[in-house]
Amino acid sequence: MTTTAPGLKAPSGSRPPKPGPRWAVWIGIAVAALISVYCLVAIEFTLEPLVTNLTNGQVVIEQFLNPNWEFVWRVRDQWLVTLEIAIIASLVGCAIALLLALMASKVTAPTALYRVMKIVLAIQRSLPDLAWVLMFAAIVGTGPLAGILALIMFNIGVAAKLTAESIDAVDPGPVEAAQAVGATGMQRARVAVVPQVMPSFVSYSFYVFELNIRASLVIGIGGGGGIGEVIRVQLASFNFENISAIVVALVVVVFILDQLSRTIRRRLI
Amino acid sequence: MSGHAALARGPVTRPAGVPKAPSKLPKTLGMLTTLAVLLLCIWAVDAPWSRLLDAPSAFADYLRLMSEGVFANPTLEPQRDYWVTAGEAMLESLQMAWVGTMIGAVLSFPVAFLAARTISPAPVVAVTRMLLNVIRAIPELIIAIAIMMPIFGFGPLAGALALGVGSVGTLGKLSSEAIEAVEPRSVEAVSSTGGSKLQVIWWGVVPQAMPEILAFWLYRFEINIRAGAILGALGAGGIGSILSQVFRLRNWEQVGVTLAVIIIVTVIVDQISARVRHRIIAGPKGAASEHRDPVAEMG
Repeated sequence: MTTTAPGLKAPSGSRPPKPGPRWAVWIGIAVAALISVYCLVAIEFTLEPLVTNLTNGQVVIEQFLNPNWEFVWRVRDQWLVTLEIAIIASLVGCAIALLLALMASKVTAPTALYRVMKIVLAIQRSLPDLAWVLMFAAIVGTGPLAGILALIMFNIGVAAKLTAESIDAVDPGPVEAAQAVGATGMQRARVAVVPQVMPSFVSYSFYVFELNIRASLVIGIGGGGGIGEVIRVQLASFNFENISAIVVALVVVVFILDQLSRTIRRRLI
Repeated sequence: MSGHAALARGPVTRPAGVPKAPSKLPKTLGMLTTLAVLLLCIWAVDAPWSRLLDAPSAFADYLRLMSEGVFANPTLEPQRDYWVTAGEAMLESLQMAWVGTMIGAVLSFPVAFLAARTISPAPVVAVTRMLLNVIRAIPELIIAIAIMMPIFGFGPLAGALALGVGSVGTLGKLSSEAIEAVEPRSVEAVSSTGGSKLQVIWWGVVPQAMPEILAFWLYRFEINIRAGAILGALGAGGIGSILSQVFRLRNWEQVGVTLAVIIIVTVIVDQISARVRHRIIAGPKGAASEHRDPVAEMG
């Protein structure tokens, strides 16, 4: 700093002053270290079982390494159910999310409404998918319906947040143009905002769909039907070979969907 | 609007500069296809849709019971017990998520340099990336069931380790992208003064990429809090085990209290984490533009 001040011409070749110690950084590191030590102690962190108890895990791991491929085809109906659950939940969830996102952005909603919606969405997003599926399984009974409802709630949280952020970032030009010709809030949203966020909204929807396929394990274990339900049953009877085959198949499915949605997204944007 | 319509009425009155409206056919077709797929799925899936009719009233009943639990005097039994149980379990979830994130951060940091095209030779990058992709593809709950719980037994340690291994995949990928995106001039400056490869990384790359990498770590912590829930339900401790228990018992007052604890703690932690992330990325003056969450790749 001193070198740029007038009258204080630094001799050529001298070094700029060293920046002082950054207390914020050191305090941050100290706090993080303290929390880390506390957490490590609290959950009794140790890697000892890795040496002493490895043989115990070997049995299970061996079963996992010998997947029972036949089983994947035997539960084909459940695969279809998972796919149907994911499609319904992501379409319905994202459609609702678009409406909520319009209410949760300062571009399209009055200040009071968007503040309230932000809080509602934050609360809604704080519940894990497991909580939603347990709740809906209790209300409508276990099965695909509970899974669909739980995933819809989960999707609203993800898609509404992402879309609201996209809406915050739209080019204000078209919005002002619509306002200048006397468009109401709804009309402004329809002609000036939605067309701008549509590409990213569609791409989020594909992402949400992929998340739903991934989440099918959690959904099924919580009582929401589909392929996760198969996992729950097999887990209860320790058929790890079957679980392993299902998981590998699921990974392949997610991979294919990922590639597919990437291609579609690239064409859309 | 009316003026526009008048212009569009005949080709004679249309001035040369007005372009034709683009065709709406592809959009309409897309919408119709989507709708058809949706209806087909609703018809195909074996779900008792009629139960949706009773659901709102049932939900209202349960919600009333839940709020009775939440708004009852928390110093009396059994509410006191509900709050304490849920609070302790949530604390355990936070500990699990923190340790998981720590493990993920420590392991992914060196791996990220191996996976960065600007730092490592191509074969190393290819192998590391493939490894990261494989880890990312395996759900944490499978890591927990297949590896961690048989070896480390039930409890938060197995959960933390599963979250940690799972975190390496996303953190490694995102960090390596942050490393590749650093501004090359300061890297060249260090190497032009004769810095070794390690010195170039430490003085040229790390200071630039670190804020973003730190933000990823914090973001992953938020995700791990939620991801830990399912591990708990399978026996890895934390809020998930309490949650599945209270729902099974259908003790709605306790369900209400447990959900309240989850919401309060998660919202507070998210807020703090978002503030810290923003401060790290934007600097003390908040000069940099608003940083977008890398949520779309975190899964």
